[in-house]
Amino acid sequence: MSDQSTNAMVELIKVSKTYRPNIRALEDVSISIRSGEMVFITGRSGAGKTTFLKLLCKMELPTKGLVEIDGLDIRKMQGKRLSLLRQQIGVAYQDFKLLTDRTVAENISIAMEVSYLKQQIVRKRVRALLEELDLSDKHSSMTGDLSRGEQQRVALARAVANSPKLILVDEPTGNLDATSTGLVMDMLAALNNSGATILIATHDHTIYRDVDHRLLELRSGQMHQLRDGVMQ
Amino acid sequence: MSFIFAVLRQVFRNFRQTWVSQLMTMLTVSLSVFIFAFFYLVYNNMLSIGDKLGYDLRLIVYLEEEPIPELQEQLRRKILAFDEVEDIHFVSKAEAFERFKVQLGEDQDVLEDMPEDFLPPSIEVVPLKNLRSLNQVKLFSEYLSKLPGTIKVQYGQDWIERFYYFTRLVSIIVVLSAGLLILTSVFMVSYKIRLTIIGRKAELELLKLVGATNSYIRTPFLIEGILHGLLGSTLGLTSLLGLFYWIKMKFSGPGILNIFEFSFFQPPAIVMIAIVSILLCLTGSYTSMRKYLRA
Repeated sequence: MSDQSTNAMVELIKVSKTYRPNIRALEDVSISIRSGEMVFITGRSGAGKTTFLKLLCKMELPTKGLVEIDGLDIRKMQGKRLSLLRQQIGVAYQDFKLLTDRTVAENISIAMEVSYLKQQIVRKRVRALLEELDLSDKHSSMTGDLSRGEQQRVALARAVANSPKLILVDEPTGNLDATSTGLVMDMLAALNNSGATILIATHDHTIYRDVDHRLLELRSGQMHQLRDGVMQ
Repeated sequence: MSFIFAVLRQVFRNFRQTWVSQLMTMLTVSLSVFIFAFFYLVYNNMLSIGDKLGYDLRLIVYLEEEPIPELQEQLRRKILAFDEVEDIHFVSKAEAFERFKVQLGEDQDVLEDMPEDFLPPSIEVVPLKNLRSLNQVKLFSEYLSKLPGTIKVQYGQDWIERFYYFTRLVSIIVVLSAGLLILTSVFMVSYKIRLTIIGRKAELELLKLVGATNSYIRTPFLIEGILHGLLGSTLGLTSLLGLFYWIKMKFSGPGILNIFEFSFFQPPAIVMIAIVSILLCLTGSYTSMRKYLRA
């Protein structure tokens, strides 16, 4: 990321996604998100928010159009190049994708282990993240034994553990109380301040109501800009 | 954290989590190696017994009458016309009688009333060591029986034929058990890895999503395959070695088994069996992973 203010981290040009048999999730979406920007994407359930995020980490391929991450055409990314790109993208999934038979620490470590970080660094980072998200006492608990809210925070910790340059968060506060929501949003804001590009898909208006970041809305598969944002 | 350390951690974790199925797979591989190696060992020992028998093999051509030196030379040329031989020895009636007397030992007095020329003269033909296969010996025997003045040819046909048929049967069992080894090693390991993949689908999917390379995902499974082959073959061969020495100890002393010297595999053969087992298990593991990573 050479010039954060001008480089587009995410570029979508006329992107459509249709699921079989004929369900249109996204239609002609064109959008550019700059490096270091934090963007909220809102919309009703089924509006295509999750599909939009999935396209950015190549969990899904677009039916039509161009998707670029940091100038790289996602369709052309394969094998080791795709792996390296994914190491730079942290994703907190709506369904968490936690390994319920593993401890909290192990779940968070996975993202760093694939980058071959030293165990000492991994352990230190895990502790720091757990402290930040008020989960220090859950370090060695099985994630299957945690509440939904705790699981959500673990998923978020794993997404940001590797200090990715692009963070995709799907409904980050769906299961959280006000205090935990505050912790999560503080963490995301801090990461954004340190240069990470963050996309948050949510229908929780309380988390974007009082901030001045860009706000987009997905309506029937089409993207609408509700509010222009200010880069931090 | 280096690649090797990360991979070994994964292997250790896999073994810890699925140790029962890992153990079962390893035991199946070791049983297959044991069965194959057992028959292969029997076959090897039979071949060396065959060599020993071949070393002592001689064809005796009984003649109607004693050949004069000129005829002896003619017969020698005819014999050599079939193939090179190690030795041709003409046994006269008198020499045959003397040999028989020696063989009878203390009972030689039974020959007192017998004429000294009652035994037929013969030719002892010692074939070359390369003339060992049953078919060749048979053909040679047929050739010799057609020589003029021949009454019959003897070389212990029945015994040798039975021995060679048994050797052939063992060789078929060796091939079949090799097939069993291939099937169990490749398919067992392949299905074991496939089951592991199904059981750990969520984890493997997650690894892909967080940016694990194919090598990172694949290598622990390949190492598992190598370990199954290595440990399976080690256990199988060690068990066979134990059985071998047990049989040697149990059946030591005078007996048929002591006529021949039985031996275990030489180190190169042991290494070869282990390498083949490892390669087979590796193949099983690789094919499963390739299918998964392609999907």
